[in-house]
Amino acid sequence: MSPGLSYTLVITGAPWSSQAPQTALAFAQELIAAGHRIDRVFLYGEGVHLASALSTPPSDEPDWPGQWADFLADNQTPGVACIASALRRGIVDQGEQARYELSANNLRQPYQIAGLGEWVEGNLKSDRVIYFHGSH
Amino acid sequence: MTTLIVIDQAPYGSWTGREALDMVFSLAAFDQPAAMLFMGAGVNWLRKSQDAGGIGQRTVEKNLAAAPVFGVEQILAEQSACERFRLGEEDRLNGVELIPSVRDALDRFERIVFAG
Repeated sequence: MSPGLSYTLVITGAPWSSQAPQTALAFAQELIAAGHRIDRVFLYGEGVHLASALSTPPSDEPDWPGQWADFLADNQTPGVACIASALRRGIVDQGEQARYELSANNLRQPYQIAGLGEWVEGNLKSDRVIYFHGSH
Repeated sequence: MTTLIVIDQAPYGSWTGREALDMVFSLAAFDQPAAMLFMGAGVNWLRKSQDAGGIGQRTVEKNLAAAPVFGVEQILAEQSACERFRLGEEDRLNGVELIPSVRDALDRFERIVFAG
């Protein structure tokens, strides 16, 4: 079996306003099943809403943020939300809560908040960088 | 390997173009070659003398004018779109290269990112 390729997945579409997170999850599951590797999942723009710990869909609907978080944890895949995109949209971890003296934090585990440098690194190191947009 | 960032939506209607511009500057900050292509309604980014104060935004013109300073190698614009939006040479920011064919331009790059 070939060693497979390494991937960075970039999600820019938000759950419920776009299909991007669901499509990306199906793609990610197939990558792993086919023996490929995912270096990181990078949430950018509206995609950072996927990392909100407060998303609470009705119990009879798919929980896309929950399913994504489970996938990342199960496969030990780093999930990164762009810090500028996240702060604009109210996705905050403990560190940023303290820095900006905010009343709460809401970053879902196992995501981390980091800069666009993570995306640049993906461009440099991954064999493929695949984008999942909310529009186009 | 140069990364081409493509913007095909007019400025101010959403934040995707600004966030695509952030990607460009991020590449430049890490010394990675970057270029930009404006096509369709996206060519309106290149219009001189923008004033977005009336809608409570800051103009994107200054950000874009700084791109060459930060090491963005090329700013390309779709020629037919410039004609459609009446964006003549005197109306455009300096240093923009018009391209007759988007397809040919895309073929010049191996890494292409469409603004999401």
